[in-house]
Amino acid sequence: MTKPGLAVVGIAEVPTRRDPERTRWNILLDVCMGAINDAGIDKNLIGAVISNNPMAQPSMQNDMSLGKIPEVMGLKGCRDIAICNAGGASTTNCLRLAEQHIASGQVDFVLIPHTTVQSDMPPQDLINFFATAPLDKQFEYPYGVSFNGSMGLITQRYMYETGATEEELASVTVALRAWGALDPLSIFYGKTVSLEDVMNSRMISTPLKAKECNLLADGGGAMVVTSWEKAKEFGDKAVYKLGHGTRFMSATPMLREDVFHRQSYRESSQDALAQAGLSIHDMDLRQIYGAYPYTQCSALEGYGVCEDGHGAKLWAEGRCGPGGDLPCTTMGDATGRGHTGSGVSMAFYLDTIRQLRGEAGERQVSNCEHAILTTSGGSVMNTCTSVFGRAPR
Amino acid sequence: MSEYKKPLPEIQPYSQRFWDGTREHKLLVQHCNACDTNIFYPRRDCPECWSQDLGWIEASGRATVYTYSVTYEGVEEKFVEDLPIILAWIDLPEGIRMHTNLVECEPEDVQIGMEVEVVFRPITDDITLPFFRPV
Repeated sequence: MTKPGLAVVGIAEVPTRRDPERTRWNILLDVCMGAINDAGIDKNLIGAVISNNPMAQPSMQNDMSLGKIPEVMGLKGCRDIAICNAGGASTTNCLRLAEQHIASGQVDFVLIPHTTVQSDMPPQDLINFFATAPLDKQFEYPYGVSFNGSMGLITQRYMYETGATEEELASVTVALRAWGALDPLSIFYGKTVSLEDVMNSRMISTPLKAKECNLLADGGGAMVVTSWEKAKEFGDKAVYKLGHGTRFMSATPMLREDVFHRQSYRESSQDALAQAGLSIHDMDLRQIYGAYPYTQCSALEGYGVCEDGHGAKLWAEGRCGPGGDLPCTTMGDATGRGHTGSGVSMAFYLDTIRQLRGEAGERQVSNCEHAILTTSGGSVMNTCTSVFGRAPR
Repeated sequence: MSEYKKPLPEIQPYSQRFWDGTREHKLLVQHCNACDTNIFYPRRDCPECWSQDLGWIEASGRATVYTYSVTYEGVEEKFVEDLPIILAWIDLPEGIRMHTNLVECEPEDVQIGMEVEVVFRPITDDITLPFFRPV
């Protein structure tokens, strides 16, 4: 008898781009049909659709919340729909809710879709959204803080406490862009940057420079998930979720005692690894969704890959980028991929599944058996850490 | 003063006293009389013990810079005239951390750990924002 658990058996994704001609619904239908076709199942076997909330797109949010997807696609076996919003961590919650549906035995296959188009929104509206939705409208927003400004504050303190230099942090972006340059799904495909490019890019909010901040883009992806038991029928296509842990810190950045989320990364990863029966040293790939370079460093510290304060050095030594002995964030993070709102987490799961399937092309991590992945929502209100593997345990 | 175009703080009933205070040039910190905790930002209930027996203490107005970031671009149009904006988190001896702007100084003069003091600037007839400047 296989333990109850969740496995991903079908995936699809469209390239991250800025292209308002590509509509939200076209992206959505392409990825939903793509994931079902990739799984190779009949569409009417989908028992539930659990959508990732399309942030800042109220009309699409209504469509996805109120049942349009199974209706438009003719998913005649669909018994339930839901939507999950945890900002950047929305996909994580979709997976957890899907896990409950599957564990209940009442649903065999769940479709988890995401679509986002930001290129048709005025830049001012997007700056406003990211300055108000995840930040405090009484005690932060009136002071001219942007999302970049908020992350600049944390990065400055990270450098002060750890001694990490601007060059070391810039090397994170160089490596993330190097991964993105190898990924046909990245908006930066074929476009590497040098340390000088990053250091010489315009200053946005000290110490963050333009190339270290996120380019808002459009994208979409979808997964079909099922039980471990059913996943056996899918052979090498199936990727298994082996463990999960989450820690919440605070909604408002200034109130966060765990300023760099290091303790939160530590505890959530320990929970996830304990459930999987594995150690951090069993992981072949570390995927960190923090959207800003310091998170790529503090997560490695929290995971226990290195001592506290040494994360930036690993990146500067080239160990986390292509060719390194500690491959991290082959998805490129929002910095190296383009930021698709709540979709960044979807792209992180899809990239992890590709790596574990051996389908990651030029970015393929050799012998990738196990991967650890952390997503976060809001202004890094939480860390949601999962362990995935090629086989159930 | 009625022409202030930037966002005003979204005041809640239980934070009104804070903003009355800044108008009187007093920096007030919410205080729980039941468990003796200083609270920021102001709430209806004490987040430690859920008591509604909440009062206010007047802060000294001194603080230390915990971190800062100088913003040169990427803000909404209404803030562009203020650039560069020095964002800061400051630690009050009363045990709370606030987000603010540092004023009356140049970006290159700012350091983590520097001592600052509150300066009150009215932005409308009703609202006065607390900023901080080097001591």
